Parts: sequence; structure tokens; C-alpha cells
Amino acid sequence: MIQFFRVYKTYPGNIRALANISFKIERGDFVFITGPSGAGKTTLLKLIIRAERPDQGEIVVNKRNVARLRNSQIPALRREIGFVFQDFKLLNHKTVYDNIALVLRALGHKKRDIPKRVRQVLRVVGLEEWALKQSPLKLSGGEQQRVAIARALLNTPAIILADEPTGNLDPDLTVEIIDLLEKVNTLGTTVVVATHDTSLVAQYNKRIIPLLRGQLAA
Amino acid sequence: MSALFIVRRIFGVMKENGPAHLVSIGTIAVAFFLFSSFLLLPLNFASVLEAWEKKVQIILYLKDGIGEKRIPQLTEALHKEEGIREVRYISQRAAKESFERDLAGYGGVLKGLEEGIFPASFEITLHERFRTPERIRALAERLGAIKEVEEVQYGGVWLERLSLFLYTLRWGVWILGGVLVVIIVSVTANTVRLTLYNKRGEIEILKLVGATDSFVKLPFYLEGGLQGLLGAGGSVLLLLVLFHAFSYKVAPYLSFYFGQLHLSFLPPHMIAWILGIGVVAGLLGGLFSLRKAAGI
Repeated sequence: MIQFFRVYKTYPGNIRALANISFKIERGDFVFITGPSGAGKTTLLKLIIRAERPDQGEIVVNKRNVARLRNSQIPALRREIGFVFQDFKLLNHKTVYDNIALVLRALGHKKRDIPKRVRQVLRVVGLEEWALKQSPLKLSGGEQQRVAIARALLNTPAIILADEPTGNLDPDLTVEIIDLLEKVNTLGTTVVVATHDTSLVAQYNKRIIPLLRGQLAA
Repeated sequence: MSALFIVRRIFGVMKENGPAHLVSIGTIAVAFFLFSSFLLLPLNFASVLEAWEKKVQIILYLKDGIGEKRIPQLTEALHKEEGIREVRYISQRAAKESFERDLAGYGGVLKGLEEGIFPASFEITLHERFRTPERIRALAERLGAIKEVEEVQYGGVWLERLSLFLYTLRWGVWILGGVLVVIIVSVTANTVRLTLYNKRGEIEILKLVGATDSFVKLPFYLEGGLQGLLGAGGSVLLLLVLFHAFSYKVAPYLSFYFGQLHLSFLPPHMIAWILGIGVVAGLLGGLFSLRKAAGI
């Protein structure tokens, strides 16, 4: 599903983010990318969605050679990937419903299908009807992250990437969110979670890709 | 992506950034108002020029002591000149009587004035096609060479000045138009850039979920175009209101000086051009700001 082969990435100012990264994630896997801040976790996720381009190496995501994609082909790649952020990235001036509906419109869903689909994904992440008309700011951190996960699931993606999804949550909510991602994984979606929280990773018996200063740790 | 959805998105974007858009549309409207006014001026000065040209006549003041027998000969010679429609001889007596009629209320002042101080003259009316500043000047020069003529008077200096003013104004409109397009593109680009900044969160999300470039960018292009259209439309509307106010309140007084004025507003094709320039300049503004916004 995701394959990195000798990937290098350096930012302007000769800041090395990733060097000689090779790994393979199979369809339906649940993988933790671990490492301290600055290890290159976010860069790795950005490379998968082609928010960044590698300097060297090949990246294959769902049979697409990401490094060689034309700009016009990037939206198609991203429609196969759901992305969850540490800071949720919800639009606080819109309601929960509008946050999700906007994405559905952007993905070309018909207007009449939107209400049904919004309710469907919110049920999957365990949110009730009352949340629809709320501003994200009126929800707890855990609820906001559920909305963000619902948004990521909208297009029934083959892959979910989560960048420190529990970084802003307390331990109970952290477990809730990872359990939710596990549930999504059991439905067949490949899940990649980047986290610096080693205690969290230790609670789950999942494959780990450890990074240290931009390289795969031994 | 339906047209209605796009329109809603554009107005949504504009509503969220309302004050900036109002300022932007207002600035564009002021710039276009100046431009439209400069278009309107030559249009109507041309009609003033035409009215003056209709009224213009050449007066030949004659030297003293010309015999009565010479007048019919001179009249006939003038009639033979190309472009002259009518020649009227005003004798010294007739000139004095006319002066007295004009200043009837000041009778006491005129007492004692002798007939000899009023020169005899010819009042010459021209054919319509000869009432251009250049032709009037040429004719006046020719007539001034007649040895019995003391002085030639015609409104030519004013006509020439007005004509030159009109010419300058017409060129000024094009220069102003160029400056105006730069202003509108810059104002629109800045407002769209501000909107892009305010909407960067939404844009980032839309791009990450796989929204197409056109879905993300189109509202911002169109936002620029709509601003240009509203600004240009507002300026035409304002000009129309002021034009009507001027026509009803001020123009009747000016008619005393310029004769019957036929003021006209911008013709439909000019209005269409103004709106078109507004839209194109606005779209260009949107395009520039999107190009400058990194990562979009």
C-alpha cells in the first residue's frame, strides 16, 4: 500500500529531514511512526500525500509513484488518503455539519446526498445528532478529533494518516481516539499514526517504524 | 460544482471579509467614477462646441470714411467667398441705434455720444460645414486682408481653445484609463490576498482532502471579477444620478451662456466597456494574488 525506497528529503538551509528511508506498509496494516520532535515524522507523512517532494528515492502509494505525479494528479491521490492533524484543523466559524459538508462538496458529492453521508460518518466516529449544529469550539478536544476523523473518513479512503492525533488530548481521550482508529482499521483501512508518545505505542501491539534524526532507528 | 454553489461560495467569502470588500469596491468605484466622468466630459463638450460653432459669426469692422457706393461692392465680394452664407451690413447709425437699444436703461450715460465713434461693420454667417475652428480662422485671415477692413472679430480663439481642450481630454481619458486599470488590479489583488490569508485554513483543508485546483481557486478569481463589476457598476450608477441632477438643476442656467445644451449620458456600448474593464481588471487582480500566494 505504501512503499518508501531510499528516500531523502532536505529543506532549504541544508536542514536534513529524512535520509535513506526504505520501508513497506501492507494494505490493512496499522503502523506507528515514532520518534522525538524533529525526527522527520511529519515530513514522512507530507511526502505520502505529496505536500512535499523527495529529493531522491521513490515513494509508491496505492500503486501511484508519488514522486513523479503531475500537479493535476495530486487531488486524485489525496482522495484516497484521509489526514488527521494534532490541532484538528476544523473551521471554527462553521458548524460541525458545514465542516464536513464543505469537504463533500469539494469532492463532488451531490447536494442531496450530503446530509445522509454527514450523519453516516458521524455515527461511525460515535458522535450524536446534537453535535451537527455546534461550532467545533463548543466540543471537547476528543469530540473535535472525532469530527476530524469523520472528515478524513468521508471519501472511504484506503489510507488514514494521523499526525500526532492525540497530542492535544488527555490520556483517556487518547485511548478513545486510538481505539477509534483501530476500529477504522478493522474495516480494512490502512492506518499510519505518527506519534512521539512511546507509552501510548507500548499499549498497542502494532508495528512500529522508529525514526531518529531523519533516519530509521535500528 | 453547480453555478449556484459557486455564487454562494463567492458571496460567503465576501461576507466573511465584508469591510475589506466594501473598501475595495468603493475604491474601484471612485477610480471608475473619475474615468467615466472623463469619458462623459468630451462627449458633452463636443455638444457645447457644436452649439458654439452654430452661433459663431465673423464681424468685419470697417475703416472710417468708406463711401456708401463701396458697400454693395464689398457685400457682393464677400458673398463670393467660399463658406459665407449671409452678409449683413451694419452702418454707423445702425450700430449706434443697436447700442442704444441694448443699453436703454442707461439713457443718460449715452447722451452726447456721436455716431462716428461706432464703426460700420459686416456681420457674416457661415455655412455649417465651414464652422470648424481651422476654417473660421483661415477665412478670418483672408477677410482681414481686405484693405477697407480695420479689424476682424470672431469667437475663434475660444473655439480653438475648446477644441484643443477637447483633444487633450480625449487623450487624457486613455492615459487615465491605463492608470485606472493598474489601480483596480492592485486594489483587487490586495483584497483577494487578504481573503486568501483569512481563508488559508479552509484552503489547506480543501487541498489536503483532494479538492481540485479549480474548486479551490475559482471563487477567488471570481471574487476579484465580481468586485470589479460591482465597483464599475456602482460608479456608472453614481455618475447617472449626478448627471441627471446636473441636467435638471444646473444645465438650464448654463444654457444662457452656451445656448441650448443637449447633454447626453454614456451610450450603452461605453457602459458595457466600463463594466467589462472592471470585470477583466478584477479577474487579473485575483489571478495575480493567487500566483503570489505560495502553495495555492
